[in-house]
Amino acid sequence: MSPRRLFPLLYLAAGGVMLSCADIATPSRNNAYEWRRLVTTATGVDTLSFHWPRSSLPVRIWAEDSLSLPAHVEHAIGEWEAAFLYGEFSAVAVSDSNEADVIVTSGIAPEGGFSISRLESLRAPECQGATDIELDASGQEIRRPIRVYVNPRFAPGSPGLDACMALTTTHEVGHSLGIFTHSPDAGDIMFGDPIVSVLSPRDRSTAELAYHIDATLSVAGR
Amino acid sequence: MRALPPFLVLAFAAGATVLQAQVDYNARLGVTWATPLLRDSVVEEVQVRQKLAPTLVVGASLPIAPRYRAGLEVALTTSGYQAEEGGASSDLGTVRTGSVTLGLHGPISTDFRWRAGTGLLSYWPSQDQGAFARGGTTKFLAGAGIDYRRSLLPQWEMMVSLAYDFHRFTTDELQARGFSQRQGVQRIAATIGVARARR
Repeated sequence: MSPRRLFPLLYLAAGGVMLSCADIATPSRNNAYEWRRLVTTATGVDTLSFHWPRSSLPVRIWAEDSLSLPAHVEHAIGEWEAAFLYGEFSAVAVSDSNEADVIVTSGIAPEGGFSISRLESLRAPECQGATDIELDASGQEIRRPIRVYVNPRFAPGSPGLDACMALTTTHEVGHSLGIFTHSPDAGDIMFGDPIVSVLSPRDRSTAELAYHIDATLSVAGR
Repeated sequence: MRALPPFLVLAFAAGATVLQAQVDYNARLGVTWATPLLRDSVVEEVQVRQKLAPTLVVGASLPIAPRYRAGLEVALTTSGYQAEEGGASSDLGTVRTGSVTLGLHGPISTDFRWRAGTGLLSYWPSQDQGAFARGGTTKFLAGAGIDYRRSLLPQWEMMVSLAYDFHRFTTDELQARGFSQRQGVQRIAATIGVARARR
């Protein structure tokens, strides 16, 4: 085997190795907002963070068959799943509320009854939403199900109501997947008074970070 | 002038017969290993990597000079792909690839030949999600390889092939998310099969 006959092959291989060494450049995720809930305790500030563990995926979400909530939940699931590149979060709609990890109903969140973090978005004129996350006695474990309330302020069919219910459902499902605070930017779905219907790059970056940093809260077993 | 069309038909038929007599076909099965499709850093490094992929290759070549042949090769792979982060991995689904390569083949020794070529490589994910949320992608490909051939029967040879190729990977979804440049992906395929030689 003459080494000279191998030259074309060696040149090509060397060229290939040189050309293929470059890596893709990762985007900055510095645009993320704070998603963790800071709780003041007797000893200082406690940072509560949560994401659904892979062993709990897909998260099962039940929606009341009212005011197009099932469709809004499907839309919300699609929006949030698309925020992730590596399958960090997935969810499915289920028909049996007894099996659900998250329950979405219409109506106003009940007063009291939970040892909870209540995350509300109240200022939209057409509808309002709230997410109740109940912790166990230790304060370290989330009880299932997380409850989401989306409440219309006008009669069904009123102008703007359906759009408000849709974006509020997406917003509240965002809380249920671990974004425990509100964005300060009105361009984000997680803004306290959401007005956009799709996730922004900031929402995506925030969700990604939430799912790549160890959570301080766990979720109770099924 | 009337004789020209029949002449052309006869000439074409004769040429095709000569070419057909010189065409060398081969079909191989094997596996393909690839470097990561994507390296990201969310908090820790995340790598997206294809698993070892079963591979089917079919090829044909024609002589273009006393010692050289031009060849066309089609390769198909299918495998799962996964994300790896901090020692943990999670399946992301299945991705199939198909490549078409036009190449040049030359001799190294009696049983060994080299080949090099360029072509196109397409990724077809089973689901439009994650990095493939906006669908698959097609990239330029360049590669080279060594073939070993040994006669089995008259006109049939066993063919063992080791091939290397590279391409620069990205997708519409990754670019929309702000990933710039492209990930260099190198692949090595080892295949074995048969070749029908008409030389």
